[in-house]
Amino acid sequence: MRTPREILLERHRATTPKLDAIRREVVWEGRRAAVPKFRVADTATLPMLIWRELFWPCRRIWAGLAATWILIFVFNFSQRDPAELLARKSPPPSPEMILTFRQQERLLAELIGPNESQAIAPSKPFLPQPRSEGRFEILTT
Amino acid sequence: MDFVSFVTFCPTELNLFSPRAFHWMKMPAVAESEQLPVQQAREGKPEAWDALFRRYQLPLYVYVFELVHNEQTSLDIVQEVFIAAARHISGLRDDAKFGSWLFGIAHQKVIQHWRKRTEVLLEEIPESPDEFEDGPDDLLIRREQEAEFMNLLNQLPPPQRAVLLLHFVEDFSLEEIARITETHLGTVKSRIHYAKKSLRTLLEEKK
Repeated sequence: MRTPREILLERHRATTPKLDAIRREVVWEGRRAAVPKFRVADTATLPMLIWRELFWPCRRIWAGLAATWILIFVFNFSQRDPAELLARKSPPPSPEMILTFRQQERLLAELIGPNESQAIAPSKPFLPQPRSEGRFEILTT
Repeated sequence: MDFVSFVTFCPTELNLFSPRAFHWMKMPAVAESEQLPVQQAREGKPEAWDALFRRYQLPLYVYVFELVHNEQTSLDIVQEVFIAAARHISGLRDDAKFGSWLFGIAHQKVIQHWRKRTEVLLEEIPESPDEFEDGPDDLLIRREQEAEFMNLLNQLPPPQRAVLLLHFVEDFSLEEIARITETHLGTVKSRIHYAKKSLRTLLEEKK
């Protein structure tokens, strides 16, 4: 004769190893998930706290946001001007080309140079002087 | 008359193996005067949690399994109960009620599981008999009847099965069972009364 308790416990005693594993996981291995709640205040650093309070509860939202940004970047790169990329990739100009360019530059400078220098040279500002000073200048010369 | 028949039919006053006599001789009830390291668990000592969970893991599993009838679901629920207990220990006011508090969490998890499966489980028994004096061991079952007992237990409606399991497995008081199942004391009394009556009747019929 056995009591209902004995029968019930005996019937499920084979599950004990699985229950032991769950207990170990919750208490010892998975302490970040379960038991640690009480030690959090002592040991948790700020990044951990932020991670746990800000990121972890809405991790799916953050993951979605990150995925959206990645998509935007990918789209942005794929839409870049191909001419710009081509110019970046083109080889450096040959010495002949550079020589021609410099000749053209010099020619251009000769053509527009004098006028420009005249235009650019600052004109002497007219300062009225007393006539006596002017005469003194003539004498000294 | 063989021994089993003698034990079964002998008058209660003379029979040392009768439920009443066994009730006198039985070992102290499980839930009584146990020194559980609840305070150490509150302080965050993993050894204390390990001891507490070790003590309750099998009864909890039995309770959940007999209501859910699925091993993996029951194990998942037990794990959820452990995690919830560790997280919400600050909500426990009286350390002595740790067991019933833990079973209360398990009960809520089982109800959540049932709700997910959209099973109808609210079945009230209007009458509430006043007398309730039987202990959990007043029902003794012969070896040959154990399989029958399990079958009969599973035939009971879930609310009756739940209170009967709490009564059998942990010998919780009626008040504790009422608190665990979040029902009125009268309802618990009637559920246990009718559940035991049904079991007895069924066991008698199967003799």
